[in-house]
Amino acid sequence: MFSKHNAPKAEDPRLKAITEAIRVVPHFPKQGIMFQDITTLLLDHKVFKDTIDIFVDRYKDMGISIVAGVEARGFFFGPSIALAIGSKFVPLRKPRKLPGRNITGAWYLGEVISEKYVLEYGSDCLEMHVGAVKPGDKAIVIDDLVATGGTLSAAISLLERGGAEVVECACVIGLSHFKDDCSVNGKPLYFLVEPRLQ
Amino acid sequence: MQSSVGVCSSSSSNWLFRFSAAAAPLLPSSLTFPISKSSSSSLITLSTPSLISSPLRSTASASAADSSHLTEMASNDAQDPRLPRISSAIRVIPDFPKPGIMFQDITTLLLDTKAFKDTIDLFVERYRDQNISVVAGVEARGFIFGPPIALAIGAKFVPMRKPNKLPGEVISEEYSLEYGTDKMEMHVGAVQAGDRALVIDDLIATGGTLCAAIKLLERVGAQVVECACVIELPELKGREKLTGKPLFVLVKGA
Repeated sequence: MFSKHNAPKAEDPRLKAITEAIRVVPHFPKQGIMFQDITTLLLDHKVFKDTIDIFVDRYKDMGISIVAGVEARGFFFGPSIALAIGSKFVPLRKPRKLPGRNITGAWYLGEVISEKYVLEYGSDCLEMHVGAVKPGDKAIVIDDLVATGGTLSAAISLLERGGAEVVECACVIGLSHFKDDCSVNGKPLYFLVEPRLQ
Repeated sequence: MQSSVGVCSSSSSNWLFRFSAAAAPLLPSSLTFPISKSSSSSLITLSTPSLISSPLRSTASASAADSSHLTEMASNDAQDPRLPRISSAIRVIPDFPKPGIMFQDITTLLLDTKAFKDTIDLFVERYRDQNISVVAGVEARGFIFGPPIALAIGAKFVPMRKPNKLPGEVISEEYSLEYGTDKMEMHVGAVQAGDRALVIDDLIATGGTLCAAIKLLERVGAQVVECACVIELPELKGREKLTGKPLFVLVKGA
């Protein structure tokens, strides 16, 4: 179903405009990081729509029942994809945002499970509602950018702990070290463009 | 898996029009443009005590849950038939984030593909002919509803964020919390003078957050046409804090 090289064909004419719509902000959040700002993409209606279209085209016939979006920038893309392909949208959130108690023991609907992960800069924790996914669900994970893959790994863990099968992770931007081995923790990784240098 | 509601079998470029396709308008004419204050009262809503509770929760919370159910409003207007399902898809979680708060959880709405699609459709139907150029979504749950609306009506989407999240130059507006203050930020250059804007969030409580968003947009010369939320908590009178801007909501919570 998936080829080894999951990046979309370079000839897709929409990709040039997508790359150009992304703004680079140097030294944010700290010195040395060239931050890939996708908010400028959201300001360009045609490019934003094209971005969603590319993901929808890829996933619409794959029986995906869950689109999981990583807070917060995964929320920009995930819900529109979910609506277009007829899937549920599941937010994967920072700690203490999802209502309900964080539990480590027995599972109750509305309770929350969490997974720690290491960031490109720092560390954090991702949470998901118990009962949002169930065994038999086929899920994709959406975020704006994949750097180390730490956040996506945590997302995959949460969905699998809930019994879902993670079919693929999808991002707008992927760092170039993912180009040759498009996977995170053995799950295929799909992204549209590489980071801009400036 | 759900039926093919929302699944696009034809070319993907049709998906926008598919899920925002017009049914015959169900809104009374008073709710169409120009949007006056009197017409900004919400469509709703809904009587059914719709607490989607865990069967394992103790019944001690039942009485607290009853007071949180979505109230029936006397309305002269025909209720949109999509609203009951939207309302019952919202889960109320008692004592979150602290004792006494009945939290209106929209994540269960996002798991109901028909109800989520209907929610977006209701907003799109209201705004698509209003020449809206900006949909401003308030972090973070406004990011879930805002972009689909923006895409369907041809507007740009602008995130209104907590401090230090937006890279580059921002303007900020402080607002009051129950204890202390917080700040909301918007990118410089995202919105221009003359832009016609909507502000979207999942819920309006005291109105402080929406008010900050209105101020940021107006500071750069945009015209805030309306604020739109899925849920209103009318007892908190947030509607009065919107500096005269109209408010449109789908459901009301007690």
